[in-house]
Amino acid sequence: MSQEEKKSFWQNLKEILYGMASHDMSRYALRTRASMEHLFILITMGDMIGIPILPPYYSLRLLPYVVPQISTWKRRLLREKDISDAMF
Amino acid sequence: MNTFWIVVLGAIYIYLVYNYYARRIDRDIIQSDPKRATPARMYMDGVDFMPTSRNVLYGYHFKSIAAAGPIVGPITAANIWGWLPSLLWLAIGVSFIGWVSDYTAIMVAVRNDGNSLSAISHRLISPRTRTILFVFIFFYLLLVAGAFMGIMAALMAARPDVPFGIIILGVMGFLGGQMLYRWKMDLIVVTVIIVGVTILAMILGPFGATWNAEKGAWNWVGPINGATVAFNKAIDSITGGQPVMQVVDPTNADPRIPAPGPDGKRPKTALYDPETGLINTMPSYLFWALFLLVFSYLSATLPIWRFAQPVNYIGFWVTFLTIGISAIGALLAPFIKPQVGQFALEPVKTLGFALDPAKPWQPLWPMLFVTIACGSISGWHALFGSVGTARQLEYETDGLPVGGGAMFGENALALLALIAVSIPGSGGGGGRFAAGVGSLLSVLFGDGFRPFGTALGFGVFIVIVLTVTQLIFRVMRVTLSEWVGEAFPALKNMHVSTIVSMVLTMLLVLSGTWVYLWQLFGAANQLMAALSLLIVSVWLKSIKRNPAFALWPMLFMYITTMAATLVTARNLLVTIVPKGGSIAVGGWAMIAIAILLFITALLIGWDGYQAYQRYARGEAKPSAAAAD
Repeated sequence: MSQEEKKSFWQNLKEILYGMASHDMSRYALRTRASMEHLFILITMGDMIGIPILPPYYSLRLLPYVVPQISTWKRRLLREKDISDAMF
Repeated sequence: MNTFWIVVLGAIYIYLVYNYYARRIDRDIIQSDPKRATPARMYMDGVDFMPTSRNVLYGYHFKSIAAAGPIVGPITAANIWGWLPSLLWLAIGVSFIGWVSDYTAIMVAVRNDGNSLSAISHRLISPRTRTILFVFIFFYLLLVAGAFMGIMAALMAARPDVPFGIIILGVMGFLGGQMLYRWKMDLIVVTVIIVGVTILAMILGPFGATWNAEKGAWNWVGPINGATVAFNKAIDSITGGQPVMQVVDPTNADPRIPAPGPDGKRPKTALYDPETGLINTMPSYLFWALFLLVFSYLSATLPIWRFAQPVNYIGFWVTFLTIGISAIGALLAPFIKPQVGQFALEPVKTLGFALDPAKPWQPLWPMLFVTIACGSISGWHALFGSVGTARQLEYETDGLPVGGGAMFGENALALLALIAVSIPGSGGGGGRFAAGVGSLLSVLFGDGFRPFGTALGFGVFIVIVLTVTQLIFRVMRVTLSEWVGEAFPALKNMHVSTIVSMVLTMLLVLSGTWVYLWQLFGAANQLMAALSLLIVSVWLKSIKRNPAFALWPMLFMYITTMAATLVTARNLLVTIVPKGGSIAVGGWAMIAIAILLFITALLIGWDGYQAYQRYARGEAKPSAAAAD
């Protein structure tokens, strides 16, 4: 077994172990963060549709953080969901 | 036969099937293409849809599908029919049906925008199929919860060396959540502390107990097990030592029934009377059932990071270490301790076709095929694969190593369980597994370690079952709220919906016959797999591919599991219902669920058949998303 193959073997093993032990924890953490981000987007939603809710100064400060999230936010929000989505 | 040959046999058929059958199907029928964009890449949202390394995904998928099924199923089946039929079904089932179900459930979701099986059935078969599938899934979950809860409560009540480890698991779960998410401690340090303490607590359970060779039983006089015995007695004194109710298990699989002695007769104990076959349900049994419900209640209602997640994390490491070391023991046993590696169980105990009108009927077909579920084929895998795994697949070509590979991995776990039950052990179900683990660990650590290894085996068994049960109650709570929350607003409250789920589960548990619950769960689980294969067959027909590799397994599983559902309902009617009282209520509840599952599966099957015919005649075209 070459040095590279050995490294790849241990790397693969490490990834499998991570997948078994911690991947679902990472996913839950990401889901929690995504829910928070959705709330954040909701705060600035008014400006997006032309009804200012926050004073424009704060909206303009927040907007750069929100804009990169819009496409993934739309996907998550508009995706068809059913009960089996809540299972895993 | 010995453990070594089982390991060799397993390695050979897994290698041959994966390389010469599964890869061919992947290449020629499904035509997976690494250049085609998967839903994870097309709809990446950084959360649910996220391209993930196939190694990570393999570990994730394997851990999520490997629960109590591959352990309890082979043990129960080997006890009823012998190890040979169990081995054959494990080998043939996984080779031609199991991996097909897991892999295709992932691929059908990948080719359908990462939609769940129910959404795909809505699109491909008919709108009502989705609704019927939800009804099916809820009662399927109820059966899983009932079967698992019954087996755990009986073990906790019957083994005073076990509860301490499980209590510490709960404490470490809380502590782990606090250390990781509040105190932001290093993951490795937290892992060493919480996993180390839990394993130590499980091993220390039998510390100080002495073996009574005359009675062939343990004297529980140690500091931990002695205290547990005293505690159980104190609780039992509430009714003056009298049972709260008496139940029967015609299959003798209840953990409270002792193993037969050298004369072939079962001894009389405080919990079991061999003359009448009655099992005493003591107040301590109800206490431990309540303890497990509280454990699951906390998991279902607290924020997931606070309790459920750290418990799962500890559970994974405890299980992984114990099973990994036991597997090394199994491999080395024929060389180091040949007497441990030899099988004491008969190859074929019975085929079970003889029918006695008043007794339970356990014919090899169809009952073996639902008793061993997850090691050969499982609907749970299909459900999980289509929702959890399919949305993270980076390349289509990863589908086979992840879905098929994890199924073969689970089959290896089932073979290990079969080994554990086939070498000398005592007790039923989990007891056999634990005794097998104790024997295999004694190969590496010496005979003195056997009782501690056995206690660890019990602990691992309960951990595996408990981590799934807590997830199921969480899912049942969500399902109940979503379903009937509009009609009964009270069920929108998570505490109410959790408690309602638990009361329904206890109704099944108190019938006292977990083996029927297990077989009913097995039938529902295999039916779920058959329905998943049905959706795959319809999908393949709709895109003009040869569906034979999924269609024939689907027909076999569909017919077999429908028959098994009816046989189980008949067994309940003949052996449980005539006992009357609360046992009969549980029996009738199970019969009602069996009939409901039968009817829902019949409706889905009919809808699926009609859809298949439509696509075969070319009358219908797949919607855009269902095209290949």
